[in-house]
This record gives sequence, C-alpha cells and structure tokens, in this order.
Amino acid sequence: MSERGARRVVVTGLGAVSSAGIGADEFTASIRAGRRTTSPVRSFDPSGFPHVHAGEVHDFEPRRWLERIDPAHWGRSGQFAASAARLAVQDAGLAAEDLARTRAGSVMGTTSGESAVIEELVGAWAADGLKALPPDVVGSVPAGRIAAAVNSELGLTGEALTLATACSASNYALGYAFDMVADGDAEYMLAGGADSLNRWAHAGFYRLGALAEEVCRPFDADRSGILTAEGGVALLLEPYERAVARGARIYAEVLGYSVNCDAEHMVHPDPTSIAACIRAAHRSAGVEPSQIDYICAHGTGTRTNDATEVAAVREVFGDRLPPISSIKSMIGHTMGAASGFGALICCRALYDGFLPPTAGVERTDPDLGPGVDPIPGRARTARPRIVENHGFAFGGNNAITILGRVA
Amino acid sequence: MTSAAALSAPVAAGPLPPATPLAVTAVGAVSAAGIGLEALGRAVAEGIAGHADPAGLSEESLPPRPVRVVPDLPVAELIGRKGTRHLDRTTKLALIACRLTLDTYPGRAGERSGVVLGTSTGSIRSSSEFSMETLRQERPYLVNPSLFPNTVMNCAAGQIAIRHGLHGVNATIAGGHLSGVQSLKYARNALRQGHADRILVGGVEEFCAQSAWGWHLSGALGVDVPVGEGAAMLMVEQEPTASDAGRPVLARILACETGYGPPGRLADALASVVTAALERCGRRPEEVGAVSYGATGLTGLERIEDRAVRAALGGRSPGRDVRVKESVGECFGADGVLQIAGLLGAWRYTAAPAGELALVTAVARDGNVGCAVLEAGALA
Repeated sequence: MSERGARRVVVTGLGAVSSAGIGADEFTASIRAGRRTTSPVRSFDPSGFPHVHAGEVHDFEPRRWLERIDPAHWGRSGQFAASAARLAVQDAGLAAEDLARTRAGSVMGTTSGESAVIEELVGAWAADGLKALPPDVVGSVPAGRIAAAVNSELGLTGEALTLATACSASNYALGYAFDMVADGDAEYMLAGGADSLNRWAHAGFYRLGALAEEVCRPFDADRSGILTAEGGVALLLEPYERAVARGARIYAEVLGYSVNCDAEHMVHPDPTSIAACIRAAHRSAGVEPSQIDYICAHGTGTRTNDATEVAAVREVFGDRLPPISSIKSMIGHTMGAASGFGALICCRALYDGFLPPTAGVERTDPDLGPGVDPIPGRARTARPRIVENHGFAFGGNNAITILGRVA
Repeated sequence: MTSAAALSAPVAAGPLPPATPLAVTAVGAVSAAGIGLEALGRAVAEGIAGHADPAGLSEESLPPRPVRVVPDLPVAELIGRKGTRHLDRTTKLALIACRLTLDTYPGRAGERSGVVLGTSTGSIRSSSEFSMETLRQERPYLVNPSLFPNTVMNCAAGQIAIRHGLHGVNATIAGGHLSGVQSLKYARNALRQGHADRILVGGVEEFCAQSAWGWHLSGALGVDVPVGEGAAMLMVEQEPTASDAGRPVLARILACETGYGPPGRLADALASVVTAALERCGRRPEEVGAVSYGATGLTGLERIEDRAVRAALGGRSPGRDVRVKESVGECFGADGVLQIAGLLGAWRYTAAPAGELALVTAVARDGNVGCAVLEAGALA
C-alpha cells in the first residue's frame, strides 16, 4: 500500500525556544534535571484568572537569535519558529547559504497560529472598534506566516508549509518532512512547530475544567490538568548518506510515522483509534512493539488523557509497557509545538543515552493499572534504541513518530 | 565533526522524482455565485458577479467596500438539524462543500478516507470574538466553553471527519493563498504513503467584519476588490484507484509544486515553480490552454503573477483565463480550491474538450509561490 521512500532520513540539527531554555542543550539539561519551568504568566494580564501559571518564554529577545528577518514584521509564533530553525541549522554545523542553494524547505505545526497578534488586534478592537485595527499588525495574522518566517530567516527556496492540526501538528510536520527527504522532493527539511500563550486558550481550558492551578502532573493520582505553554522547536532532517559524508552529528533516524483520525468526538480521544495509529506507526517503521524502549507521551496532565493514552498503549503492548513519560510536566503544553519538543527530547535521549522524566509524580495513579513507569523525578540513564513519540489533538487528530538510534 | 570545508559542501539536488497523477472524481463548491459547481461555472464563464449584499451577516459595522457573500446557507438541507447550534460559519461552509462533493461522488467515502483542508487562520471571527469575551466579561474566564472548539484551526476538518466517519489522514493546511496547491501536494503525498485511499481536499474562508476590516485597512487588496467567502472541495484519489473502480475522472492533477522567493524575486520564483511543475509532468508550455489565476485583486501581486505566467509560457497567452475572484471576491484560504472548482465549472459549462491543460497559480506577499497542473477529463 504505502511506498517507502528510497532514502534513509536522519536528524542532524535541533533548535528550541522554550520556558526550559533556548537551544537544544539548555532545553535538554533542564528536562534531564526534571526542572519545572512553568511560572506565573507575564505576556498577558492574567488578573481575574484563578489559575495563572503557564510555560511562558519570559523576556524572549528575538533580535538575539534572528539574523535576517525583522521581528517587527512577524508575530511571536513566527519569531519562535524562525529562531528555533536558525538554532537547528547552527546545531547541524551547516551554513544557511548552503541550504538556500539547494532544495530546502520547512514545515511547521501550530494550534493557534499567531494568537498573540490576534489578541493585540482584539485589544485595539475593544478600545476603539474594528476600524482602529493597526494596519501594519494585520498582515502578521495568517498562521501560514510561521513556516514563512523560517524560510525568510534562512533564505530557503523550497516549500514553507504550516500545518494547523492543533496539538499533534509537529508530528504531522515531522512525518511530512521525512517523506519529502526520503522521496527526494527535498534535500533538507526543517520540521517543528510553534505557538504563543494567549488569553483565549487560557480561558477556554479553565472553563473546560482542564487547567491545573500551579503544577501539571501527568500520571499522578493527584493530577489536576494541563498548563498552557508556548515556544518553538525545529529539527533539521537530511538524507543519512549525506549526513555521514559530511561528518555530521546524527542524533537519530526517523524510522516511520502514522497519522489517523478518531472521527468520533472533537475533544474526547479514542483509545482504539490511537492504538490503531500506534500499530500503523510500527508498521511504517518496520518495528515490533517489543522493540520500543520508551514512549514520549502526549501526557497532557488530564485524567482523560492519561486513561486513554495508557489504555491505547496497553492495547498494543499488552502487559509489557515501555517506560512512558511526559515532558509537559515540566514545560506545560506547548500546543502545536508539543510533539516537536517530544521529538527533540527523543533525539537527545537516543543520542545522549537517557530516558526523559515526568516531574511531580508522587504516586502513579493506580487506576492506570499495573506496569506504568512514568520515570518519576529525574532522567534515567539508559541506552534506548528505538522510541515512540505521541501527539494527539483536538479534533481526534493522532500522529505518532518513531525514532531510532543510528549505530 | 569534520572540517568546515566538508560541512559546507554544497548539495547538488538531483532531478525531482516523477509526480504521480491524481484523479479528481467529485467536486463541490459554495460561494457568492451560489450553491454547487454549476452556479460557479456559469458565473466564471459568463463573468457574473456573485451576491453582494451582506445584510444580516454581521452585527459589527462593515468597511465601505464591495463584498461577495453566500446569502442563505442551506444548513438544515445539507448538514442536517442536529448538532449545528455551536458550529461557526467556517465549519458550516466547509460541511456544505463536503456534502455537495460527496453527493456527486460515485463511490462511497468512509473509513479509509481523509480530509486535507486549507485555511488562512481558521475562523478569525470565532477566535477574536472568544478572545474579546475574556476582556468584556466580568471575569476573563466567563467564556462559553461550547464555542471554544471553534477557535481551533482544525475544527472544520475534525467536524467533517466526525459527520462522515472518515478515519484517514486529517490535516489542516494554513496556507492562505497557497492553500489550494499546498493541500493538493500534501494530499498527493498522503495518498502515496497510504494514509488514506481517497482524500477530500478543500479550502474554506468565511466572510466576517474582522477580516473585512483587516483587508480594508491593510491595503493588500485593491480598493474596489470585494472581500468574499466560500468553500470548495475535491475528491482526490490515485488515478488507478479511480479507473479500476470505473469512476469517471473529472480532471487529472498532473503536478503541484511549491516554492519560496525572497522579496523582489517573487515573479522569478513563481515562474520557476510553473516551469518545474510542467517539467515534472512532462508537458510543454505551449500545451497550456488555460490559466486559473490566484492573485486577482491583490495589490502588487496580480502583476507579478501575470508576468511570471507569461515568462513561463514563453510570452504566449493561453486561450482561457479563469479569474474566479471576479465572481466570488477575495476568499483567501478558499481561493486555491475555488480556483480549481471555478476552472472545472467553466470547463463543464463551456463543454471544454477532454485533455485541455491548465495551470492553477498562487503567489503570496511573504514569499510563497505555487502551481498545479490540471488536465480536463470527463466533465460532460
């Protein structure tokens, strides 16, 4: 049925802009230490909200990271994406001019696009009516500006694609980038995602009863919900043979992926459909469940997510569940960037040799059944060979990527 | 890490792999020209302007400029009466285009079907009104939770999947003016990878005061160019799947290429994706008989598109110019698929011969450019 591309595809560059630091090294060190980097919101006025914690990138200075584009012309999500992409290219030891000379593009996932820009305009609307919208800000609204910011920053001439499949969008992006490189449509692809904190999502999640007061603790018996978050993440993908030829550091190989849709409910995930997605991802990667050494969970911090995700994993893995952890316990839910951050930490786990932790787990929820190992507290030293990265979204959009260590 | 010289070795990109042709086996459209492909085809072929009265569509005042809107959405007839109370206009338009498409599809959709839906920013009305509530209510969280899903950009694609039981790939492409060609390219890959057996490829944009003022104030649209709305959808499958099942192929999508150009080089960038698209399907510029333009009415871009198309076609004008926006207005995230639906509608209305070759082009200010190559099929 499916036609696997001719080329093996590897990840050779990583970039992150997050509450846990800027750059993949800072990010990884923070995650390995199990450090919680969520904090009270400052980017919008949270007064009146009973819960004010979020994973905000405080004091982000785009001019420090961006070389070509003028941040004044781009929204916060685009700035995050372009900064992360710039960092990923540097991390890969490549010159942007070389990328610009070949078929290179970007594919970025997002949930709410340039939501901070939209809220700036809503502020103008509230104050003086729609006729008072600042014209120069209006042009930064379209969500497609996120991938466009990446291509503009790096001078890329290939596709600039923004996928708005909500909270699994980065995994969608990674899968698509993998196919483009494997099939020869592109020589390099930057894949990832970006989102910005915004009042409307904060209000919406609070109103749904899904927002934690201060601490997000997936898999814990006393979890109380998600924390909203923001950031940008990018992975640089290229053909394995070129990476080897140029002596690049290879973090991981993209082995396969799968996407499907529950088609049942907009907000309640479906374990059977997720299990089908996991199985299809295994088939795509040519691996058996017994070969999966770790699962980077969607792990939002809600009871519903944990119960559904563990049930789906159990359906595929039976009694032997791989260790499964959620980095959202530390950085919150970065929405469209979430599965991108998951992919990034998977790459580092494979390359550096560790399993990322779930922070804040005091007592693993017994209702999840036996054998759930959320790697509580701090990272565990290990040598994972093949790992699985989950992304589930609003609308029932599931996307799962499989990454492997290159021996 | 090795030496800087090795790391900076430029990469010679090989020729692009040949593109797999896709078959369009159904099409549906809703726009200011009316409900259905026939209305759109007639409007495009005859140069008829669509419905221009926005009465009842907005509580906010509208900018002083022409508009093109869908007068009465046939929600009860085409979507049903159940569970539509909280759907926003974007989702309703998409569901109507989907219903119209499935009604003309000779096969059965279902489990192994997917959705790839183009947008600009989802429903900008839904997200900005929801955000406004956080400012206007006594407490910022006193928003209506049943409206929260409408603020998420993949809401319409998710609703389509739920209502029709489509478990395949479900992607939302925030491509703005590039949504059509980007969605086709995404769908082509998804079909090739087996993420679905058939995909509804669409685009949607609703008319609202927020975006009307945005267009009006930004200067990105010519002063007399109407702001429009609409949705269009194509059922797309790999050609052998369609022909093996005996489904008539309305059109073949031979290529869809995208690229990105720096400011000042947009015409070159567009011309080169047009050339690449033709090369990739082994067709010559002189075979092109029609062009469906995407930049109609966009300040500065309209001329860039004309120049790029002329350059790629060696200076000659194709026989048929399709400018769907002259009938339906500026429809942003829906433009690309409306360009295709408008072309197919015009082909059918004028009984165009099978085999006519058409370009569908798109260019955006930020740098995105794209081109699809279509061939007329059994449209009669």
